[in-house]
Amino acid sequence: MVDEITDFEVLEIALRELCIEKGLFTAAEHRHFTEFAEQIGPTPAARLVARAWLDPDFKRLALTDGLAASKAVGVDWLEPTGFGTPSDFTAFKILEDTPTLHHVIVCALCSCYPRPILGNSPEWYRTPNYRRRLVRWPRQVLSEFGLELPADVEVRVEDSNQKHRFMVMPVRPAGTDGWSEDQLAEILTRDCLIGVALPTPGVTTNVLTRTRPAIHPAAD
Amino acid sequence: MSTAGKQPEAVTVEALDEIVQRNQTWPVMAGRYGVENPVPPWKTSLDGMCDAIDRAGDDLSFTFNDRRDEEDALSATRYADLPYPENQLVALAHSLVAHGVIDETELRRRLDAVRARLEA
Repeated sequence: MVDEITDFEVLEIALRELCIEKGLFTAAEHRHFTEFAEQIGPTPAARLVARAWLDPDFKRLALTDGLAASKAVGVDWLEPTGFGTPSDFTAFKILEDTPTLHHVIVCALCSCYPRPILGNSPEWYRTPNYRRRLVRWPRQVLSEFGLELPADVEVRVEDSNQKHRFMVMPVRPAGTDGWSEDQLAEILTRDCLIGVALPTPGVTTNVLTRTRPAIHPAAD
Repeated sequence: MSTAGKQPEAVTVEALDEIVQRNQTWPVMAGRYGVENPVPPWKTSLDGMCDAIDRAGDDLSFTFNDRRDEEDALSATRYADLPYPENQLVALAHSLVAHGVIDETELRRRLDAVRARLEA
């Protein structure tokens, strides 16, 4: 435990209190949003894809009606917090990879992300480095995550926005025959569902990548 | 501090600069106390605050996109030495002051009051 009161802890409380006093939001609204931020995680998304890999009917549902498929794994996009979140709109599409097509998601404009089902975006997803470069040099950026795709695999970058959210359904990897939904869900890490990694038997953690700082003036 | 006619990035908020200089960032504090949590405990509360502010939209003179653009710009310039999520928090404070939602004097007073309460 950090047994010291930091300026940042104090600043967070001070800002929050002042915003509440100015009527921007209530303490109860803040608590509700915070609870939402703490609860969500990649598990429902992993389960959704694992189930789709095992059940062709569910896969069809996932690809045609992402919201209905989300609901089947316990995530209601219409009511993720009970009163909706401001930046999680309810147009959600799941992008199916094939052996010759790989999807990866980004929000070039800001940091839109399918939070109700995938949790909070990782730090690197929010960086200008990722957002600006992925849309122009996707293979280069993916290689920085250790993902080298063969030339005959087309890379499609899907740009999220305030109206549309996306998630990737990767190809089920070899070596997973006979696996249960739980086993498959374990290898469907957050990064696989963003599209910066491929599900791999034995790999159950996200890629470790050094997040580059945002652009600095050349003089730095 | 004067905000009249200035771009938010051009505004200096001394109270925030002082916080940056004291550098009680999470990597420093976690290292000092041998804590392994990757982000500070106030992180989800900050997430909740950003969501709540974005929802307040119509009551503010700036939009969700303005706030995120300013966060990017400020994190790359004035607050480039801060790690995440400290840079997000300080950028949010900066935007609220620069847009006149919160007055810097009022912010200073509240910072002192909150610290006194936590240290009581």
